[in-house]
Amino acid sequence: MKILVPIKRVPDPQTNIAVKPDGSGIVTDNVKFVINPFCEIALEEALRVKEQQGGAEVVLVSIGPKVTQEQLRTGLAMGADRAMLVVAEEELDPATAATVLKKIVEAESPDLVLAGKQSIDDDANQVGQILASSLDWPQATFASKVEFSADKKEVTVTREVDGGLEQVAFALPGIVTTDLRLNEPRYASLPGIMKARKKELKEVPLADYGVAGAAKVKTHKMAPPPKRSAGRKVETVQELVGLLHTEAKLI
Amino acid sequence: MFDLEMTEDQKLVRETVASFARDEVRPISRDCDESGHVPPALAEKGFELGLIHSALPEDVGGFGEQRSAVTGAIVAEELGWGDLSIALHLLAPRLVAYPLLDAGTPEQKKRWLPAFTKRFQPAGAAIVEPRYDFDTLTLATRAKRSGSNWVLDGSKCFVPLAGDADVLLVFAQTDAGPQAFLVERGTPGLTISEREKNMGLKALATHEVELKGVTVPADARLGGEDGADVARMVNLSRIAVAGLATGVARGAYEYARDYAKDRQAFGVAIAQKQAIAFMLAEMVIEIDSARLLTWEAAWKLDKGDDATRECVLAKRYASNAALKVTDNAVQVLGGHGYVRDHPVELWLRNARGFTNFDGLAIV
Repeated sequence: MKILVPIKRVPDPQTNIAVKPDGSGIVTDNVKFVINPFCEIALEEALRVKEQQGGAEVVLVSIGPKVTQEQLRTGLAMGADRAMLVVAEEELDPATAATVLKKIVEAESPDLVLAGKQSIDDDANQVGQILASSLDWPQATFASKVEFSADKKEVTVTREVDGGLEQVAFALPGIVTTDLRLNEPRYASLPGIMKARKKELKEVPLADYGVAGAAKVKTHKMAPPPKRSAGRKVETVQELVGLLHTEAKLI
Repeated sequence: MFDLEMTEDQKLVRETVASFARDEVRPISRDCDESGHVPPALAEKGFELGLIHSALPEDVGGFGEQRSAVTGAIVAEELGWGDLSIALHLLAPRLVAYPLLDAGTPEQKKRWLPAFTKRFQPAGAAIVEPRYDFDTLTLATRAKRSGSNWVLDGSKCFVPLAGDADVLLVFAQTDAGPQAFLVERGTPGLTISEREKNMGLKALATHEVELKGVTVPADARLGGEDGADVARMVNLSRIAVAGLATGVARGAYEYARDYAKDRQAFGVAIAQKQAIAFMLAEMVIEIDSARLLTWEAAWKLDKGDDATRECVLAKRYASNAALKVTDNAVQVLGGHGYVRDHPVELWLRNARGFTNFDGLAIV
């Protein structure tokens, strides 16, 4: 089985992000970048499938600036077999990213694409779905459990949906996007880092994919969320109920 | 001529060890301090990270990674940042495995190293002696020839994980200077006492070890007839301790800095007050100085030079820096620093040991 795992380079969710004064983006100086946590979960799942099934190949792919090599190296150190970077200095919108990925899927013909459900930078939650629809492949998003049939030709996915869990099954090839509770990603081990040195990390210019000017979404301005204003203390329950009725208009 | 840029591999190593320290070590460090134990599951996770066996040769089950004192210092700093007791526990097997790797005969490597590549294998080195004039290179513990055997006599203390170790590396004075001996658990004359009750490092089990007429065969001497370069081992140990001390200091500084930026007094964050701001600046200077001295010493060792001078300076400076910075961190937090709700009192207790012990880790 061949599993393709697209990953994205994003700011470390544990760091504080500041918006540039002109609103053109975020301040990236001294910001640590990591593999998007949902992508990391997808990679972990792919590695577990590889370990359980034996003989599976895990291929990493990313679209991003040249420094995205760092995240791909980390992924290789975690255990992926090879990696490919589409070098794009500009940020791509979800539809364009999906178009590039579609071409990569067509060239690689994996049995499964395991992706994060969304990246924690713009939280679009679209690439997996657009990719599935443009390939006309079955998809299961928000996966919290992924199981394969004995002949490895079908996958059953437990999805986290509003109000409960849903199970869907489809024949491969297909696309699964991962939710937070699917697994806990491993650390890249020291021997893994050493082995990663010898693994292939191919770079391809974005121009090879002919998507120039295809962007449908443009970011005009970024702004930090408004500061939460201080709360108010009231003396009695009656007063609270009254305010919820007259001011907040909640009851 | 001058370049302090980490290699790509070193960056990845630092990142993965830092994540491990942040997500696995820090969250349990208070519990470990209170309970006096490091959970075996964590030791196993540390092992899986490759802290011990990545540098051991492939023919004994390791991965044959080229070892580097600089990378060792980087790893030590990140683990020290997480928690010193836990770091020393996780790294303790190196105290036997690395000297074996550097100086062991082919037979010694084949016999002892495979165990270190399978799972977390408790082991420790017996170096420090309970006497006021202790000196690493002039030991009171004696090793005397008796026919083809060696007979060891003396007292040791601060021996990590001695209670659980299958083998200890005991340093003893021979006519040709200090040498190291592999002493198996249960060897007649070897007594491992109850755990020591220390001021800090409470999660790390350390023991006094008594050797009375402990007789070991000739091939128990590390390096066989050639012996081992104990001075270099001591230098590698100084780098490990200096790296750990830098990490402890950095952890305490970062905590104090964040606290000072958040804590309001007289209408401003206390970090705005010069008395605090100057203290924080001094702390950073100490940490960066300690790190640079450590890296320089490690770099010289990696080149194969005799770096005794640099190693001594680095260890001494970083030990003092850790004590000063953790003490200042307690001060920045004021009354809050003295209570156990915050970790700085724990870090101060741990850092106090750096100037009292030796040889508790190796790179």
